[in-house]
Amino acid sequence: MTESLCTYSGNRDEALVTFLYDDAWSGSERTSFGAHLATCAACREELDGMRGVRAELGRWNPPEPNFAITFSNTPPGHSAINQQSATGNQHWWRSVPAWAQVAAALLVLGVSAGIANLDVRYDSQGLSIRTGWSQPRSAAAPPAASGVNVAASSTGAKAPWKADLDALQQQLTAEMRTRTAAASAQSTAVRPADADLVRRVRALIDESEKRQQRELALRVAEVLRDVNVQRQADLAKVNRALGAVENNLGVEVLKTRQQVNLMYRASQVVR
Amino acid sequence: MTWTDEELVARSIGGDSESFNELVLRWERPIYALAYRTIGREEDARDVCQETFLRAFRALPGFRGQAKFSSWLYRIALNLCRDWIRRERRAPIVQPPEDVDVMELAAASEPSESIEDLVARKDLSRAVERAMALLPDEQRTAIVLKEYHGLTFQEIAELLGCPLSTVKTRLYQGLTVLRRELAKGEQQRAKKATL
Repeated sequence: MTESLCTYSGNRDEALVTFLYDDAWSGSERTSFGAHLATCAACREELDGMRGVRAELGRWNPPEPNFAITFSNTPPGHSAINQQSATGNQHWWRSVPAWAQVAAALLVLGVSAGIANLDVRYDSQGLSIRTGWSQPRSAAAPPAASGVNVAASSTGAKAPWKADLDALQQQLTAEMRTRTAAASAQSTAVRPADADLVRRVRALIDESEKRQQRELALRVAEVLRDVNVQRQADLAKVNRALGAVENNLGVEVLKTRQQVNLMYRASQVVR
Repeated sequence: MTWTDEELVARSIGGDSESFNELVLRWERPIYALAYRTIGREEDARDVCQETFLRAFRALPGFRGQAKFSSWLYRIALNLCRDWIRRERRAPIVQPPEDVDVMELAAASEPSESIEDLVARKDLSRAVERAMALLPDEQRTAIVLKEYHGLTFQEIAELLGCPLSTVKTRLYQGLTVLRRELAKGEQQRAKKATL
């Protein structure tokens, strides 16, 4: 068996990677390395191996993130980030202007009035408003048969439209009350969803608290370790310093002793 | 109309938070994927992703467009990943393989894919994840940026602050280690299958 040796003159590893990704590669270099590949079994084998690795890398996918981050303009000191469930993206309506929300509410009111079979009539007998499905929509039916019926005499001191307007206002107020009651009933029905949301928020808060506690424990451990290391280093320094002081002291004592001896000897000579 | 990143950045700087939300929607997955593949933990990758956008949001007024917005985001995310790794003072941890949950697998399976195929696919994915976790940080980051984010050698070099040739060397060394480790894993799986 003969093992082929690569004879590429340039940086083979870099050339292989560059060829593999076909990036940052001049035309002549590519042609040159391509020609080398045609004759070099070792490089071909390695290139194939790297292509295999790339194919396998393509199978590694991170788990799906189950969050969606949204930002809003908030005053300094407040968090500008909101984390929401990707499935429960409920912030869209906040961006709708107030006038559009009012218009939508009025539209809903009008549609619901239509659905409720609201019958408004203005004839010689005055303004007549009738609601409810129970009454047949007959022109011959007496105006006061059901619902609210308001009639104002056209011969009165006030203009007839004044009383009609008052009546309309009362009727609309009554209708709005009914709608409000219906809406509050609906919101009661939505409460389980709210409870679910609250549960999720609590879970997130708990999770965050646990993470912070872990972080705190880690930090405390780190601080303790750092303090310990510092203490040992300080002790070693103090030991070294004491040793030096002892040495100096020893030298001083020795010098003093030598001086005393010298003086003693000198005094003997004098005698 | 689809705005470019640069246009959305300009609008965000002008106070339009919806534009920044659009940028978040556009980039949260790539940033999360980068964080996950760099540090190997789902929850922490989510935190890094969130922190990346929070920092970007705060620093946006100072962003002058010297680099592409995505490169800027990648840089923030990579710095956060580096901090995380330093803080943990250990090699990134790959989540321990859990027992195969058939229900989860069934939910994730393609209609044409059998459970056996799916298990094999997940096994392979885990094998790649484990092999990647063995790489030194700089090699893993280079491979992640090249393989999964399609950055050029030049962009990676700028992002990591190293010469072009270093990026190529890191990629070569990383791929060589991966090749060896994946082959080893393949042999082990084959041995298990024959038992």
